[in-house]
Amino acid sequence: MNKTEKRHMGMKALNRVSNGSIYILLILISVIWLIPFVFIVFQSFRVESTQQVGYVIPHQWGLQNYINLWNSDFKRWYLNTFIIALASAVLVTIIQLCMSYTLSRFRFKMRGPLMRFMLILGMFPGMLTMIILYRVLADIGLTQANAVPGLILVGFASSGMGYYVSKGFFDTIPKSLDEAARVDGATRLQVLYKIILPLAKPIVIYTVLTAFMGPWGDFVFARYVAMGTSAGYNVAVGMYSWLTADQIFGMYTTFCAGGVIVALPVTILFMCLQKYYVEGVTGGAVKG
Amino acid sequence: MASVKLTNVKKIYDKNVVAVHDFNLEIKDKEFVVFVGPSGCGKSTTLRMIAGLEEISEGTVEIDGEVVNDLQPKDRGIAMVFQNYALYPHMSVYDNIAFSLRLKKTPEDVIYDKVTKAAEVLGITEYLMRKPRALSGGQRQRVAIGRAMVRDSKVFLMDEPLSNLDAKLRNQMRAEIILLRQKLDTTFIYVTHDQTEAMTLADRIVIMKDGFIMQVGTPDEVFEMPDNLFVAEFIGAPKMNIIKTELVLENGNYYVTPFGAKIPVDGDKGKALADRKVKPGPVLLGVRPEHINLAKAADHAIPCTLVVDEMMGSELHLHVDTEDGTRLIVRVPTLELDKEERKALTVGNKLHITFGGKAMHLFDPETEKNLLA
Repeated sequence: MNKTEKRHMGMKALNRVSNGSIYILLILISVIWLIPFVFIVFQSFRVESTQQVGYVIPHQWGLQNYINLWNSDFKRWYLNTFIIALASAVLVTIIQLCMSYTLSRFRFKMRGPLMRFMLILGMFPGMLTMIILYRVLADIGLTQANAVPGLILVGFASSGMGYYVSKGFFDTIPKSLDEAARVDGATRLQVLYKIILPLAKPIVIYTVLTAFMGPWGDFVFARYVAMGTSAGYNVAVGMYSWLTADQIFGMYTTFCAGGVIVALPVTILFMCLQKYYVEGVTGGAVKG
Repeated sequence: MASVKLTNVKKIYDKNVVAVHDFNLEIKDKEFVVFVGPSGCGKSTTLRMIAGLEEISEGTVEIDGEVVNDLQPKDRGIAMVFQNYALYPHMSVYDNIAFSLRLKKTPEDVIYDKVTKAAEVLGITEYLMRKPRALSGGQRQRVAIGRAMVRDSKVFLMDEPLSNLDAKLRNQMRAEIILLRQKLDTTFIYVTHDQTEAMTLADRIVIMKDGFIMQVGTPDEVFEMPDNLFVAEFIGAPKMNIIKTELVLENGNYYVTPFGAKIPVDGDKGKALADRKVKPGPVLLGVRPEHINLAKAADHAIPCTLVVDEMMGSELHLHVDTEDGTRLIVRVPTLELDKEERKALTVGNKLHITFGGKAMHLFDPETEKNLLA
């Protein structure tokens, strides 16, 4: 082995060591990150007692906690949450993408001021509007037992203001594609759903996911609008009611089972859609 | 097949920026018209107004006798090829070409026939199932042309379709566009900033500057008889030499006196000057580099120094400085030079040049108009 070869081998070994230590660190971090999830899953299958205990792995495994869930108000809350999240995801996506396309492609009077106005308005925390929104919803009868349509309304009412991310993405799609399609005979709407949206898949997915996740995990607003009426609860508010001092001993493991069920659809959704986050699809559109 | 007529067409952007002033042009059925000019001259804007992609501020555009100002692009009977190809990246070549037909709800078997026929004409049959990103620049541009072809449109619009290609491919595609034109036999409007493309492709050239039409004419006309100084300098490569000089009238004969030489304006040009009774005085004299000859020292020959020597292969481009420091370009075919003469053409050497009256263009120094046009 000559000198250069030796040095080459040395570099290789060094590389392997540094890569190895990076991987070990990453594995450690992910284990730490996963502990709470594993913990909750284990607790949800623990049937020997229903309260908090000092160990992680159950002594007795079973599905009793899930059966308890099925027999409680949880079904109702889960359905409520699902309806709110799904409706918001659909409505928010439609409104937000139309808004972004309009702001990206059309030039009209006051476009600039409108965009700045919405940007500044969006900087105020949504909590500030809570009291007045409750008043409005109460006046039109969309609180307590009717909290579901009320929360959907709140969810998508201002969705156009979240235009920046998708507008930024649309801006990167060459305008000449729109023009070519319009010459080819497409209407503006056809341009949007036949040309722009297929190219903007990552951003469409992103919009759907964020629009779904917001109401799915909502607590403060949902609790406020439902105002103690179980029929109007979403899962977060409903399950929180199990954590009160008089309930926690009997419901703790059921609470953990609820947590697992709540996490399931979001996890599946992310696993199915994650590839679109990394996929770039505009290659070859124009000279490049 | 259709004629296109633009009457007093104007484009005014926000804040009163006028991109196109009072554009009047009638394009005949099956004519190939090229809009040419430097960037920002309004040529693309005009084309986009015809296409319906840009609003017409004033005036009317007629296609086949119908005013199309308020029609959507798709209803104007046009097809367009864009500079950056504008292919739909998520569709295969086949789907790209078929897109407009599908929007019109054409039966799939008709679409198949049309797409395969167009692909055959353009030589892209084997790429039909590929995505645009898997194609080279030239192939992409062919797909873009194919997409326009299947529309059976009345007018074919092309917005700098070759400017993104490299020089070799550009020459090849230029020849293919000529062939395509023969096959399609329709009205073409073509925008370019490249005067060579304009000269080789056009039936008529529209030369534009700052939103104004400077001249409309056949390639011969704009080359032989440029209306003004701008056209004279824009058309032809290398560009025309412009020399400040005097027009002198002696015994009924006109002369120009560049750099102390006295060169008669003879032939048709001299006659034309006499017919128009052009007054002697300062003029701008234009001579194309290919019309200047190398000469032996003589009365009417202009002495100068060789500064740059560009070997182009079949010809030499000589940049020479006259005694008063004016830079001129001379184009010499290499075939005409023997070894001795070629040797004499080294940078720093003195040479003499001449040119004849036939090759001269005379412009008014104030209006920059051609005195003979």
